[in-house]
Amino acid sequence: MNELPQTEDWLDKQLREEAPYIDDSGFTGRVMKQLPRRHSLRTQRAIIILTATIVSVVIAYFGSGEGWFVREALVRAATLPPLTVFGFVIACGLLLIVGGLWAALTRIRDPIA
Amino acid sequence: MELTDADLLARVLVDGDQHAFGELVRRHQSPVRGLLRQLTRADVELADDLAQETFIRAYKNIRSFRGEAKFSTWLYRIAYNVFRDQARKRKELVGIDEAQWQSQADPQTADPGLRHDLMNALNSLPLHERSAIVLCCQNGLSHDEAARVLEIPLGTVKTNVLRGREKLKKILAAWGP
Repeated sequence: MNELPQTEDWLDKQLREEAPYIDDSGFTGRVMKQLPRRHSLRTQRAIIILTATIVSVVIAYFGSGEGWFVREALVRAATLPPLTVFGFVIACGLLLIVGGLWAALTRIRDPIA
Repeated sequence: MELTDADLLARVLVDGDQHAFGELVRRHQSPVRGLLRQLTRADVELADDLAQETFIRAYKNIRSFRGEAKFSTWLYRIAYNVFRDQARKRKELVGIDEAQWQSQADPQTADPGLRHDLMNALNSLPLHERSAIVLCCQNGLSHDEAARVLEIPLGTVKTNVLRGREKLKKILAAWGP
């Protein structure tokens, strides 16, 4: 015959011990494969913003006499002194570098990826 | 830095991040599978199928989780509902299988180890007592949380736990000196 523990809560202790950790053994992978695919909200957001931008540009283009101001701006840029154009290119490059560095430094490392 | 369940849930809700949901599955798979193994009387294959269904149902309905209870409690509730739906299909809730099991689970013919006897005794309890015992005594839920999971009044949970414990003690006492 078995010896039973004498304390009042031996049953609770035994029951708790009867719940050992179950190893994953590919369970999570199987669940993930069966999850319904859906566009992430980021993707949806990007699609909405891109569509809105394209629609706005098209409206602005036709609403402004088929973009006469763009042609005007290009003509003006072509007549700028070379030194000004060079300065403008350098400024754009610096802006891109600063933007890239900021994005790299502020990115949070994803611990679950 | 380890993300909390709330952080992971936020990622799933805001970004639709499936990696975050995968981490939640990894964290909670053991207790959910354990609960379902107890409810299905150690039918490992069936329990794992039901556990998969539980997590898929949780993912589909994740927006209905309002954070009023712990995420694990919400999962237990889904798991219990999945089990109940499946049990209805198998007519387990009408009591035929219960009686069948109780006749099979005669402690006199079981393995003499206390651990085995305890499992056998637990499995011999009717579903309403077994589920209350498993949630409260094994998975550490409060009576109130168990009442929410099982969708029954708090007093009924307390009664089921009390009766279940009495029966377990009685069954296991038969093996004493």
